[in-house]
Amino acid sequence: MKKAPILKSYTLFYLLFLYAPIILLPIFAFNSSKVVAFPLQGFTLDWFREMFSDENLGIAAKNSLIIALSVASISTVLGIFAARASVRYRFPGKAPIMGLIMLPLVLPEMIIAMALLVVLLSLGVPLSLFTVIIGQVLVTTPFAVAILTSAFQSLDRSLEEAAMDLGETAWGTFRLIVLPLVMPGIMAAFLICFTISFDEFIISNFLGSGQPILSVYIFGQFRFPAKVPSMLALGTVLVCFSIILLGFAEYMRRRGIAKTGGKDSGGFL
Amino acid sequence: MTTSDDRPTMIEFKDVHKYYGDYHALRGINGTIRAGEFFSLLGPSGCGKTTLLRTIAGFEGISSGVIMIDGKDAAGIAANARPTNMVFQSYAIFPHMTVEENVGFGLRKDPRSKEEKAKAVAEALEMVGLKGFGKRAAHALSGGQRQRVALARALILKPKVLLLDEPLSALDKKMREHMQVELIKLQRQVGITFILVTHDQEEALVMSDRIAVMFDGEIAQLDDPETLYRRPANKKVANFIGTMNFIPAEILSETGDKVEIEAKGLGRVALDIAQAPAPAGEAPVVGLRPETLTLLYDDQKASERETEGLIDEVIYLGDMTYYDVYLGGTDVEVRLSMRNVPGRPVLEVGAKVRVAWSPSALVLFR
Repeated sequence: MKKAPILKSYTLFYLLFLYAPIILLPIFAFNSSKVVAFPLQGFTLDWFREMFSDENLGIAAKNSLIIALSVASISTVLGIFAARASVRYRFPGKAPIMGLIMLPLVLPEMIIAMALLVVLLSLGVPLSLFTVIIGQVLVTTPFAVAILTSAFQSLDRSLEEAAMDLGETAWGTFRLIVLPLVMPGIMAAFLICFTISFDEFIISNFLGSGQPILSVYIFGQFRFPAKVPSMLALGTVLVCFSIILLGFAEYMRRRGIAKTGGKDSGGFL
Repeated sequence: MTTSDDRPTMIEFKDVHKYYGDYHALRGINGTIRAGEFFSLLGPSGCGKTTLLRTIAGFEGISSGVIMIDGKDAAGIAANARPTNMVFQSYAIFPHMTVEENVGFGLRKDPRSKEEKAKAVAEALEMVGLKGFGKRAAHALSGGQRQRVALARALILKPKVLLLDEPLSALDKKMREHMQVELIKLQRQVGITFILVTHDQEEALVMSDRIAVMFDGEIAQLDDPETLYRRPANKKVANFIGTMNFIPAEILSETGDKVEIEAKGLGRVALDIAQAPAPAGEAPVVGLRPETLTLLYDDQKASERETEGLIDEVIYLGDMTYYDVYLGGTDVEVRLSMRNVPGRPVLEVGAKVRVAWSPSALVLFR
């Protein structure tokens, strides 16, 4: 490292740029001034109190949780089907079909949001949380498919054959052998989809029809300077929530590895 | 080796074909495997031996033909309902279960009580020499132990046929030789039909009552090990099993039960018709195993025939020495093997020798 001071400072600068703003969130969330600026004034919990008393914020948070849980569940289930099919079976048109499923990864979300909006409006479907869920599932499913495909790929096919050979039915084999062994992948897919959905903005904004959804709501609140400190308090809560979620996911992953005796191949993602 | 001719048929193949798309993997398999037999499917990789094994297990369907298992057409019977169990090449030990849970997996639907099942598991583990290993995590086992778990797991269901897909290929040489003997003993103990897939001809010879040698989706020869070795049906089988010298020959005459030939470097020989398998339309050659040729030392005389020779190469192996020898002043070179016993010094390159051989050890391919 001594031979490359430029690389060292580059790394430091990168990490600082990445995380320093996030560290500012809790600092100003506990600062008693309404203005988000140094020097800090005094310690207060008022912003948190204000945040928790904001009824609309509560509704937005609830809606976002409903959306994120639904999206993560649907995407993960769809991902299981798609990944299983692509790993295990050969069928005509497999390559283009899988390609099209994965396409939203690189397709601008804006296009999906606009196209869906036009279609839904012309079909006369009222915009609701449901339409947001549908839109987000399109975006998150490729992530689930990608994660689950690698999980299914690392599963030795003869394990399933062995279970069948020992008298199990196809469903019993899936439940007793396949599911437990790909469970870390399923958890990972679920958490990724949940996270992506939770802070997704474009589709929520386009297809949400003004329903309070957390990401959209937070953005709206930033128009009012007086609201900014309580939004920072919310941000602090969300950061803590993310850390807990990630910690839990990592714990589950390591437990899964320990149980099957696999090799630890690095971090959660 | 036991003779098993009188045993009833356990598995019968009738003109079995298997296609993968355009690829013709099994090309008309016929043959029977008898109850209680240690049977091997031997051949190079890609010859269809594993495919054939998997059709017995029910993991692969067949394109045409019939497979009878224990007198019933297997076509309508799913893998989980066949009286066969398999030991996989990768062993397929369930990594998220203990040894006990692995071995007892097949008993899940067994109506017996928990205690009886636990007893059966313990017995199965004892049978494969893993007594007391039940609580261990499956992933913490060595290769040899995993294989024993796979064996116990398959045998606990008391199948009529145990299928073994290259079960020893992942073990080191010492362990492999040890397990060969253990498997033979185990098969004798449980008395059920074992069908082994292997590419290792020595393994097949050591373990099997009968062997089907396969090439390109066909059974080239189905015989007991000794017949396979001494009377291979064609050059390919002869080459695949052990070492064989091929000497160009000319057919002089053929009458009912005798064939007279002139073999280069050996001279005129009269062969029994049993030494000449069905003609394949090739240029005639005679085959000779290295151990049927003997170097004669000064005081020795050949009991049957002898030929002059010139040593071209000496390969010393400790217990044995291989000699590559030009026969009878010709350019025909054969390999012969000699035990290194006291009083029989290893000879040197360039030495003139006499080579003893027996006409009855020859096989004529034509």
